[in-house]
Amino acid sequence: MLHGHVHLAHTPFLQRVISLAVSSQKGGVGKTTVSINLAHAFARAGAKTLLIDADPQGSVGLSLTRQSRLLSGFYDYLADPSIPMERLIVPTRLETFSLVACGQASDYEAGGNGMGTHLARVRSFLRAAASNQFDICIIDTAAGLFGITGDVIVSSNSVIIPQQSEPLGIRSVPKLLDGLSRLRLMNPSLNVLGVLLTMVQNNLAESLEAANALRQLLPAEMVFQTMIPRDGLFVRASARGLPIGAMEDGAGAQVVFDSLRAEIEAKIQPASGLHAAYG
Amino acid sequence: MDPINPWLDPIEVRRLAESLIRRAPTSTPQVLDAGFNDAFEGFSADSSRPTATAPPIKLEPAYQSQPSPRYEPKPTTTRGPFLERICYFRDWMHQQFQATEVFMLDREGAVIFDESGHGKLHFLARSLAHASRRPGAPAGNVHVKIGAESTLEVIPVETPYGCLVVGAVVSHSLSPVAVKAIMDAVQKVTSPSNPS
Repeated sequence: MLHGHVHLAHTPFLQRVISLAVSSQKGGVGKTTVSINLAHAFARAGAKTLLIDADPQGSVGLSLTRQSRLLSGFYDYLADPSIPMERLIVPTRLETFSLVACGQASDYEAGGNGMGTHLARVRSFLRAAASNQFDICIIDTAAGLFGITGDVIVSSNSVIIPQQSEPLGIRSVPKLLDGLSRLRLMNPSLNVLGVLLTMVQNNLAESLEAANALRQLLPAEMVFQTMIPRDGLFVRASARGLPIGAMEDGAGAQVVFDSLRAEIEAKIQPASGLHAAYG
Repeated sequence: MDPINPWLDPIEVRRLAESLIRRAPTSTPQVLDAGFNDAFEGFSADSSRPTATAPPIKLEPAYQSQPSPRYEPKPTTTRGPFLERICYFRDWMHQQFQATEVFMLDREGAVIFDESGHGKLHFLARSLAHASRRPGAPAGNVHVKIGAESTLEVIPVETPYGCLVVGAVVSHSLSPVAVKAIMDAVQKVTSPSNPS
């Protein structure tokens, strides 16, 4: 399959790196799966992509590298900003795809510190990442919209919110929106790209009803058209330490994330003429 | 039974969602670095600071400085472009309260008027205004000492444009009477029509 190239930071309209937080109020909604596979989709399309694991659970590292517990990472930088960014960046087999693990600094717990405690260092980290010529930084955060996750969102250009397609998940939407509104007060230029329905089960009426209810509840532009299905392929990909698109039978699922990537590109710069030539 | 709607208020959810998808206006001054870093030790007077973003307007002072505990906001009697009215208000703040670094944030937290040029003050004001909010209660003022002789006074004010946040640096925290006078003045300055 041929893939074209997106031109993010290289367009005259977009001179800075895009920082995209993947965050949610609730845990277990698929943030890490979305982060890994979306980052892989951008990287496959030619965008120089950095995937940052800002979840102390270290799920990105545990999914993609066997050495994740040995790697210095995001939380080590927060503890000691003198660590050079180059020492934190882990290359992958795909030249355009790199990652930063969560790291060894184990005294950090999501929400353990008040929001704002590490704001300056989170921003410093993102600036350092930008200086490494990345086009886009995708940041997998811990659940909740407080603590370091709040600092990451306040420091990012954009945020995408995975939401499990189940009634309980949809009921938490008001709290989610309220939390985002508070963070937007701190970062008025935060671009809320929208809610992404995940773990959609086409063979389960309640799952589809929840998806429809969310679409009726929120403005159309606030809900991504792309939906991430619940699929055993994600489990198998994680078991092998691969993004789903790198699996032999992953081409079909990769289309889903290519579609999500296209939607995000359109939302990030709707008037810029930013486009991708899809092969 | 509907598994979703009985559990939430769809109108409120939609209102929140629509406010989130509105992009911040790009014409307002951008706060390039609103965060604190290790070097930030608080605000101190410094003549090398950036100058005011609003152009100076030569107008008669709205008030004569006097040691009276009552503050009658002159801006109500002067109508004109919004910025001009805000400048009257700023002058009044200077004279009545010896305030400096006056700025105003809109309900989204964006800067709509600023003579401080200090993103950190805006950030601090946003944080304080946000932290002081209590559900169902009117917005109240807060202040924080930012230097040996400087206090940042933050006053959220409900106006026809939503909740605006006024920030100003004063030598000591303001009295409730003074805060009330400032709130009244902001409400009158931002009123779309002349109430007098």
